[in-house]
Amino acid sequence: MPEIKVTPLGAGQDVGRSCILVSIAGKNVMLDCGMHMGYNDDRRFPDFSYITQNGRLTDFLDCVIISHFHLDHCGALPYFSEMVGYDGPIYMTHPTKAICPILLEDYRKITVDKKGETNFFTSQMIKDCMKKVVAVHLHQTVQVDEELEIKAYYAGHVLGAAMFQIKVGCESVVYTGDYNMTPDRHLGAAWIDKCRPDLLISESTYATTIRDSKRCRERDFLKKVHETVERGGKVLIPVFALGRAQELCILLETFWERMNLKAPIYFSTGLTEKANHYYKLFITWTNQKIRKTFVQRNMFEFKHIKAFDRAFADNPGPMVVFATPGMLHAGQSLQIFRKWAGNEKNMVIMPGYCVQGTVGHKILSGQRKLEMEGRQILEVKMQVEYMSFSAHADAKGIMQLIRQAEPRNVLLVHGEAKKMEFLKQKIEQEFHVSCYMPANGETTTIFTNPSIPVDISLGLLKRETAIGLLPDVKKPKLMHGTLIMKDNSFRLVSPEQALKELGLAEHQLRFTCRVHIQDPRKEHETVLRVYNHLKGILKDYSVQHLPDGSITVESILIQATAHSEDQGTKVLLVSWTYQDEELGSYLTSLLKKGLPQSTS
Amino acid sequence: MEAVGAREEEKEEEEEEEEEWLLQSLRLYEDLHAFELQAPTRLIEWARGNRVCVAGYGQSGGNEILQLLPPPTLQVKETQGLCPERDFKVECGGFSNRPVYSLKYVPDTSLLVTSGPPDSSLQVWQVSAEDSDVIKPVGAIPTVNGTGQPWAKIATVSARAPWVLHGSRLNSVQITEVESRKNVYMAASSNSEELSGLAFLDGNTLLLCCAKGQLCLADVRQPQSPLEAVSVPSAPCGERWCMGVGRGPQGSDSSSQPVACLSSGGYLTLTDLRKTSESLASAKCRVPSPSSGAEFLCVSWAPALEGCLAISGFDGTVHVYDMQSWDSSGREAEPIFVHRGHAFGGSDSSGGPPLVTVHTWHPQKPRTLLSAASDGSLHVWDWVQSCGKCG
Repeated sequence: MPEIKVTPLGAGQDVGRSCILVSIAGKNVMLDCGMHMGYNDDRRFPDFSYITQNGRLTDFLDCVIISHFHLDHCGALPYFSEMVGYDGPIYMTHPTKAICPILLEDYRKITVDKKGETNFFTSQMIKDCMKKVVAVHLHQTVQVDEELEIKAYYAGHVLGAAMFQIKVGCESVVYTGDYNMTPDRHLGAAWIDKCRPDLLISESTYATTIRDSKRCRERDFLKKVHETVERGGKVLIPVFALGRAQELCILLETFWERMNLKAPIYFSTGLTEKANHYYKLFITWTNQKIRKTFVQRNMFEFKHIKAFDRAFADNPGPMVVFATPGMLHAGQSLQIFRKWAGNEKNMVIMPGYCVQGTVGHKILSGQRKLEMEGRQILEVKMQVEYMSFSAHADAKGIMQLIRQAEPRNVLLVHGEAKKMEFLKQKIEQEFHVSCYMPANGETTTIFTNPSIPVDISLGLLKRETAIGLLPDVKKPKLMHGTLIMKDNSFRLVSPEQALKELGLAEHQLRFTCRVHIQDPRKEHETVLRVYNHLKGILKDYSVQHLPDGSITVESILIQATAHSEDQGTKVLLVSWTYQDEELGSYLTSLLKKGLPQSTS
Repeated sequence: MEAVGAREEEKEEEEEEEEEWLLQSLRLYEDLHAFELQAPTRLIEWARGNRVCVAGYGQSGGNEILQLLPPPTLQVKETQGLCPERDFKVECGGFSNRPVYSLKYVPDTSLLVTSGPPDSSLQVWQVSAEDSDVIKPVGAIPTVNGTGQPWAKIATVSARAPWVLHGSRLNSVQITEVESRKNVYMAASSNSEELSGLAFLDGNTLLLCCAKGQLCLADVRQPQSPLEAVSVPSAPCGERWCMGVGRGPQGSDSSSQPVACLSSGGYLTLTDLRKTSESLASAKCRVPSPSSGAEFLCVSWAPALEGCLAISGFDGTVHVYDMQSWDSSGREAEPIFVHRGHAFGGSDSSGGPPLVTVHTWHPQKPRTLLSAASDGSLHVWDWVQSCGKCG
């Protein structure tokens, strides 16, 4: 039975990183190569020795696919390709290819420069890794080799995120990566066609979440900013250049306009140019609204948001500042943080996950006394808030996606099987498909039933339908024909047509069997005995006694002759064609049992 | 092309309205959450640890019963730390072929009971969240001559666990011990009035509310004596009534709290069960006549806010009233707060505007309510007290 094998790599039940190995029709694909952000040692990397103990990864893997630029999906890529060793192709979308190296470099800087680690990838390794990347467009079928093809679908979530379809012949797998089913202010919703893959691989963690609406999260953000500004405080929002910053700016701009607020909002320089550059480059990846605004005006020319100058940080009164980098680990955002941390009227809103070792991570963990350079202690009195704006699908979303793609099987990673029985039942009941939930390191085998399309000749079809009863839709109908496999196509034709096409002469195969019967009477009496015997038993068949002394049962011929040496023994010659093999064998065994004693 | 353009414009307008309401909400609410369930629910039940249970009521089967773990914002903590999580987590779930109209946890057991058409029987379920996340059906409590009867209303009380009080008509009120399925009480009544609600006032006293408005009391220790009728509210006939019983602090006598009765015409009457000859207070709420009859009428007392109660079921809003200034004149009363969030949802399955199906107060947080509507929305809201009123 053809099968697809899936193994999520990783230790224990940790959710922290994505790295999945898929084996389909002899091809091996690695999906994502994420770093586990919670560990400081080698446990943050997936266990690649699992893939192959002694072979080279390049020989074993046909390709690597990266779904989007978040570190828990691509953070281990340079380690994998340059330190473990992989020289094959790495596929990702264009925005991912552009943004990945920036985040990887940032991450490297924090880990090596700030934390002094040594067993880590270098800047050169990141560059060398990216040289192996092949960028793909949405809905573009990419031939990895003669048999393996991949296609990217829009996933929403972050700029450039994609879901991938991996196809070999008639078998296919769809990997969703992280996706989102509801459009937000700057990205659209995930979409896939009814591609009917054999398997859909997705995250289980979302499936049991019922998410608060985007609007209410935004409302919470606005409320916090508003309250701080109203009491004269300053709000610091550390951001990545290419994350939610644009969205939050649009939000604040709308809010300031509506509420006629006067407090200044600043956007640190460098942020604008970089962001502008990437959004212009990848405008097709944003949603309809953004594209419309972009056409009308430059996206980052706001009425209420101005470019920041470091001197402004000392200005009295309320203000809001967006500054990089996002984890408060260096640069402008850290500088501003140090100035404002001591005042409880101020607030810092962390918009995303922070890597261990960064100031962002420390304050989110509750630390309020930080050791800075030169042994200086910084007391953090300002309010620390965390906003999770990441757009993930939830229970409803996953059902929608399954409904769109119509997979034959579903596999969910990163869940505890015991705790997912309900979800499994739900998916199985609603879609009548099997749902699998492997633990990390566990291999799941899914058996596929690929359909092989075969063209049937009209003549054969007509002939088969002409025989006997009308076809019963519930019962499979057995038909006989000749299968011709030529030029990657299959055709079913009648044997005669096949012979003609192939220019072969038809041969007839005929079997003859001799059955000895003890009967001293004359030949024609023996024949009569046999005839009556057969006629009595084979009531549904046409049994005939021909004038020349032979018997026919359907198209099988039976003749009787006397044995050359023994008059008391008669020899019955039973002869049939290959097509009548079944009946012929039956007749032979029947006759071998002998004739009944009393016959007229 | 024009039709598309018009639809887009409509959508933009709707979005504008929603944005406007959201900006207003900054001032109106301390906190606001809006969730979308896959299927609408008409019940919200609290379980231990502030867990919340909802269930589907679709006629064509495949209804889910979901026990949800609340986001940290709903849990009561002295020091509210960072709350990045604003989401519910499905802790366990079950599947019901019947629509689920009512659900009650049986205290001190791992069981819950549900009821719904097409008859007045109860279904019993087991919740064992530690071993598996499936809510398993473990049996049913059938009722005599139950086929074709309206669905049963259910009540439980911790003082009398594992008893379940249920019934769809006055003459079919009974108490069943859920584990043994034995009947421990049957109401002695020949009256076949349909019930809209029932409750334990304490371990021995039952309060029954008829759909036509009549309230009856019964003593569990005296099953043979007839039900004691409480005065019928003076309001136009043809209206349907439902009741809300106050809950004192854990385990205390709730018969001291007045009973609130709400009619489909918007009349709210408060009755002191110790002085039943006259109603304590009454008022007329400014609500439209409910579009779907009185199916979703709901009235409840605030457990932590003196003298406040909430009503819903007339449209897509929930009204909060302070009855401390009311008298018995039945005048029109002004709500102290109106939650309008559900009006900005999608449309429900019948294509009309969403209708609030149920609401409930948070057991500890004084101004936090949960409300659900026919479009599948589930809101959690903490409204801002405007100065000078109650609390």
